[in-house]
Amino acid sequence: MPQLVFGRDAAVARTRRAAFRDGLRAVLPATVATGPWGLVTGVAMVKVGLTPWEALGMTLLVFAGSAQLAALPLIAASAPVWVILLAATVVNLRFVIFSAGLYPYFKRFPLPKRLLLGYLTSDVGFAISLQRWTAQERNDPAAARGSTEQVWFFLGIAAGNWLAWQSMSIVGIFVGAQVPGSWGLDYAAILALVALTVPMVASRPALVGAATSGVVAVAAAGFPLKLGLVAAVLAGIAAAMAADIAGERLRGRA
Amino acid sequence: MSSLEIWATIVGLTAVTVGTRSFFLVLGDHVPLPERVQHALRYAPACALVALIAPEVLMVKGGGLVAWNDPKLIAAAVAVGAMLATRSMLATMAIGMAAFTALRLWG
Repeated sequence: MPQLVFGRDAAVARTRRAAFRDGLRAVLPATVATGPWGLVTGVAMVKVGLTPWEALGMTLLVFAGSAQLAALPLIAASAPVWVILLAATVVNLRFVIFSAGLYPYFKRFPLPKRLLLGYLTSDVGFAISLQRWTAQERNDPAAARGSTEQVWFFLGIAAGNWLAWQSMSIVGIFVGAQVPGSWGLDYAAILALVALTVPMVASRPALVGAATSGVVAVAAAGFPLKLGLVAAVLAGIAAAMAADIAGERLRGRA
Repeated sequence: MSSLEIWATIVGLTAVTVGTRSFFLVLGDHVPLPERVQHALRYAPACALVALIAPEVLMVKGGGLVAWNDPKLIAAAVAVGAMLATRSMLATMAIGMAAFTALRLWG
């Protein structure tokens, strides 16, 4: 079994297994956020009227919490299928941006593997991986992107995230509405995201970008189809870049 | 919705997910990505996370801002402080949830 997963070459398998384990370890704290989200989504799918089989099929195949949650009220309202798919596409737009960030690391793989790596990309997986890889590049600018170590780190994160999401989602489907809302479990997910974000806003441009993104997200929360999320991310990136350029000019003058 | 329509939706949503998540992984060979854009993308994760968090922390259900002493807001601020102090995600969650629960029960 380990040979099947990590390959026959002993040295390569060792590198892969170590990186995979690092990934699992890195994603473990974030599964505290992923788990409750999965639980909530599982409960929500059943509450909207999907049969347990339909809900199981949805969580195992779609594997996209925000898109699933966006689709549910539309399914409940018997909206046309194309409207549901359009809404889910917009909610998923951030992943298009993420895929551009991941491209330099995965471009050496053939198409089927790229599709699989794309499918396994999560918010948390993208954030943790890119954070680590850019730190590695700062230490060693000559390092090649998409090393075995980097890809298997990503796979370790994906595996941990997938297991946490699916297991809790399936629990949610079967336990259903019996989890009392008074536990406030859903807020643990938000606090986990807060903890994840703090180290990422260590530089001034990142802080400016994050603040801008937050303000726009609140101001645009009423936008239909979760478009406010996309607007916030774009505004945040623009602000961070502007702060970056302003900072460079100031340093250049000094 | 009929069962057939629901399964069509599920298959469609799967295609949408694969399509968006691997968009540039597939098209990257044909759409060159300038260095400037790649640099900008470094700020994307933090922006995306804050965009998800901010409405949850700062807004009440149905729109409108929360009060300054809202348990969610204070717990989030406590969590930021805890993360800066401990650098541990699990400690941050524990301290943040303890603050959230205490404020809701006795605040």
